[in-house]
Amino acid sequence: MHFQLEMVTKEAVVIRLFGELDHHAVEQIRAKISAAIFQGTVTTIIWNLEGLSFMDSSGVGLVLGRMRELEAVAGRTILLNPSPTMRKVFQFSGLGPWMMDGTEEQAIDRVRGIVNG
Amino acid sequence: MDNEMTLTFLALSENEALARVAVTGFIAQLDPTIDELSEFKTVVSEAVSNAIIHGYEENGKGVVTVHAKRENDIVTVSVMDNGVGIEDVSQAMEPLFTTKSAMERSGMGFTIMDSFSDQLTVISKWQEGTTVTFTKKFHTVRTVVM
Repeated sequence: MHFQLEMVTKEAVVIRLFGELDHHAVEQIRAKISAAIFQGTVTTIIWNLEGLSFMDSSGVGLVLGRMRELEAVAGRTILLNPSPTMRKVFQFSGLGPWMMDGTEEQAIDRVRGIVNG
Repeated sequence: MDNEMTLTFLALSENEALARVAVTGFIAQLDPTIDELSEFKTVVSEAVSNAIIHGYEENGKGVVTVHAKRENDIVTVSVMDNGVGIEDVSQAMEPLFTTKSAMERSGMGFTIMDSFSDQLTVISKWQEGTTVTFTKKFHTVRTVVM
């Protein structure tokens, strides 16, 4: 499991996840992701799931935890390119509305669209 | 052909991946589709994570046993622990219920296990342990090469 974190605008960060995201992996990366988000002016997280080969409900916990951290700044979340199984897991968990398929550029555009009304 | 496998390991989170790999290998003979495989892996992961996190509080000492059995195209997997047990099984199975929200557990484990398997049984005794058993029929489409 590894991840890349890139600020794509002043407010938006793309987090690219690779490998298998289970409870073990989440425990390895949560603090790092959380710290990186708190350092900046992040209000939007785009989770790029394209490189993720597996995810269980621990991934849902990771996403929900960061959503909670961004609540104070009315943060936004996008779950980009989940696999069919991840899609179901997010649906069960009520995160369906935040999923989208496309490129990171399209995700950033969508965030801007939402921000600008 | 029928088959059977038993795997035991310590309650360490790194063994969650081990359990998934073992069960994935075990069902490979059934030629599952990519979606069938990833859903089944998810069920295994949820059950094993529960045993490690809740049953044993990740103490690295308790033993988790994964038993898998295949009869034709039906696979039954049991995940057993001798940990703390579940006080109220029906409450534990409610979507979003978790006793570990501080650890960011989503409370979706049993919902996922239930949705991704054909049958799910949870037997638990307080202070004695928990056995989660799930069954799945694999709808294998076999291509005959002439």
